[in-house]
Amino acid sequence: MIKSSPGWTPAARRYVFRTLAFMGGYVAIIIAVSSNAFDDIRNTPAAWALALTVSAPVIGQIWATLALMRESDEFVRAVTAKQFIAATGLTMAAATVWGFGETFAGAPHISTWLIYPAFWASFGLVAPFIRASN
Amino acid sequence: MKNRLKLLRVERDWTQEQLGQALGVSRQAVNALETEKHDPSLDLAYRIAVLFGRPVEDIFENPHA
Repeated sequence: MIKSSPGWTPAARRYVFRTLAFMGGYVAIIIAVSSNAFDDIRNTPAAWALALTVSAPVIGQIWATLALMRESDEFVRAVTAKQFIAATGLTMAAATVWGFGETFAGAPHISTWLIYPAFWASFGLVAPFIRASN
Repeated sequence: MKNRLKLLRVERDWTQEQLGQALGVSRQAVNALETEKHDPSLDLAYRIAVLFGRPVEDIFENPHA
């Protein structure tokens, strides 16, 4: 007799935990750097440490997504990889169009860190249409 | 890939969750196999064949035959 244990897979549970941890850290760091406490180091070499600190949870979240693929079964891995690749392509296309828009058409400048939320917005757009691995 | 996985599972009165546990894959993977949204790797196809005690081609239709 096979035991039944409905719910998320262990890989999905780890992904949710890691995501909450990294995004919680991200919010905490953003709140901290939004204060005036770091004004003195802006535009100095030390500001790169600040930039890396703010970026660290985002890098962690990218790792969590890649880890989800590595730790999942072959179907979830294949579908997530297809969604990831399609979202990356869409984001790169949009960023390229906007970049040339800035260069040639006077479009307002957008900070490059916005590429990460833009990627997840793209992921949300493409995911409902990519439900099969074949 | 056309297959008889759902028929074999229902014959044994297993849920997708239970079959997934026996194969070491998620319920979503079992559902995707049954609805032909995923072509199994050779490794998974052989695991399914062993579990049901049948040759792979009894379970999965060979699309090149």
